[in-house]
Amino acid sequence: PVLPEGWTGEKEFKSIGQLSAANDRNIEPVGHHFLAHARRKRHKRTFSEDDRI
Amino acid sequence: MSAENDPTQRVAIGISFGNSYSSIAYTTGEGRAEVIANEDGDRQIPSFLSYVEGEELHGGQAKPQIVRNAKNTVAYFRDFLGQEFKSIDPTAAHQSAHAVQHESTVAFKIRDTQEETENEVTVSTITSRHLTRLRKSASDYLGKAVNSAVITVPTNFSDAQKDALNKAAKEAGIEVLQFISEPTAAVLAYDARPDAKLADKIIVVADLGGTRSDIAVIASRGGIYTVLATVHDYEVTGLKLDQVLMDYFAKEFLKKNKDASDPREDARGLAKLKLECEAVKKALSIGSSANFSVESLVGGIDYTATINRTRYDLLGNKLFGAFSRLVLHAVEKANLDPLDITEVILAGGNANTPKVASTVAAAFPETTTILAPSTSSSAIIPSELAVRGAAIQASLIQEFDLEDIEQSSHPAVTVTPHLAHAVGVLCISGDETSGIFHPIVETETSLPVRRTAIIATPREGGDVLIKLAEGLRHIKVTKPEPKPKAEKDEDDSDDDESDEEEEVREKTWKVGNVLSEAAIRGVKKGGKVEVQINIGADLGVNAIYREVGGKGGVRGIIQGSKASNGSA
Repeated sequence: PVLPEGWTGEKEFKSIGQLSAANDRNIEPVGHHFLAHARRKRHKRTFSEDDRI
Repeated sequence: MSAENDPTQRVAIGISFGNSYSSIAYTTGEGRAEVIANEDGDRQIPSFLSYVEGEELHGGQAKPQIVRNAKNTVAYFRDFLGQEFKSIDPTAAHQSAHAVQHESTVAFKIRDTQEETENEVTVSTITSRHLTRLRKSASDYLGKAVNSAVITVPTNFSDAQKDALNKAAKEAGIEVLQFISEPTAAVLAYDARPDAKLADKIIVVADLGGTRSDIAVIASRGGIYTVLATVHDYEVTGLKLDQVLMDYFAKEFLKKNKDASDPREDARGLAKLKLECEAVKKALSIGSSANFSVESLVGGIDYTATINRTRYDLLGNKLFGAFSRLVLHAVEKANLDPLDITEVILAGGNANTPKVASTVAAAFPETTTILAPSTSSSAIIPSELAVRGAAIQASLIQEFDLEDIEQSSHPAVTVTPHLAHAVGVLCISGDETSGIFHPIVETETSLPVRRTAIIATPREGGDVLIKLAEGLRHIKVTKPEPKPKAEKDEDDSDDDESDEEEEVREKTWKVGNVLSEAAIRGVKKGGKVEVQINIGADLGVNAIYREVGGKGGVRGIIQGSKASNGSA
């Protein structure tokens, strides 16, 4: 959409709301992508840290 | 420990262990899963063991023994493992060795040695003998001693059942690397194919087995799977389909032979009928007609007949319909609509029946892909799905330490927050009421997640507003104008008798919570904006917006609410 006239935000960004509460669910410990997730979680890495390895 | 527990010495396979059939598979050097045929040439190996004068018969050789040697033939025992005697349903095992109580567990009284005495053999010993034979077949085929495996189990298999299976496997010389659930294995079997594309989708795995039907609704998000709902049923089964054929042929037989007795009331006649009907059922999955032929069915009378598929489809109609209702029930249990389902994977031997696939397909919109041999040329053989998934998982984790695998599949790792609503951007208009929601991260995606999308901007370019919001999926029901009828229940999915005024149902988005606004100034004419969204486990959002090919961009952070939950 087109930016309305006179819109301002700090560093061009304005935070308005928050995400609704998430549901806790069990993911299936299966497959390549899960193993990557488990590795990140156990080593407390973020996606970009993981990318660098 | 022994060499078997040394990851470098492992030879791992995938095993699917069912009540009716089991199979074994390995993964080739190129990463393709291959199902192994045993020495009889069977890929679907009957989970049967039979003893003749102390000699052990297994699989396809043991199965015909239910005619002559029913008492010493053990079948349909998987679900007895790790169970108390009083909680099992021994119906399927009626025609073979009966289950008896043995201390707190289940055993079979069989003559399994050359001696004339009956021994009580526990179900765990039977299982371990069965697994030993499977392991041997795989070892012979691979030319290497197999010593470990990933085994598939139903989603409702308890820890006690898994422990019992683990023990039995150990006795069979198999180190269980991991138990994985059957539906997830089926999804993995499809996703691991080289031509498979990673996508966010909701998959229903509908497994019509011999003694049970299991349906699972799975969210696949970036290759990570979450089971949203499961349904288990022990009434709508492949054995019931066999029964339908048995009743049909028994009646036809009685019509032809007025003085003969009912083959269903004779133990041997029944066993012969049963074996032949299963074969007829299989033949009808491939051809449009099949021959039924049994020598000396009952009272020394031979009986041959033919049946065509149309007749069988009619006979089984009730069960096919019941199965498709089970599938819809699972979708409902997951709080979803058939429109939300991207794919239905049909698994289990009975999914080879074309009518099963077409009945299930009719329950879903045309946008849903039905993966079965009769509806899709790229479908994998339904009976091989679980074992292929197991073989792939085995190849992925075979080099890991057992401790690592256990820690990784621990709830601390697997329990993760999942998005309650989709997150995306508004197109066309910034106003929530007239904007069109474009989802970037789908609902039920596990966190943390990172997604990137390219979105179009207004034609003329210029300054652009990007509004991040939550989207709620909504089913819009449009009824045709002419004859308005009484309101239909949205969830009542079995109501399409009134073809004339069929309502049109479609998936739309309602914009929920608005999360943030961002401005990108001076976008070129026809330019596109790349949006990258990172959502953390704390529900914090980190968004980056950048014009494609442009410099800089806007970065914004929305604080997570999870830590300070309760105030909102």
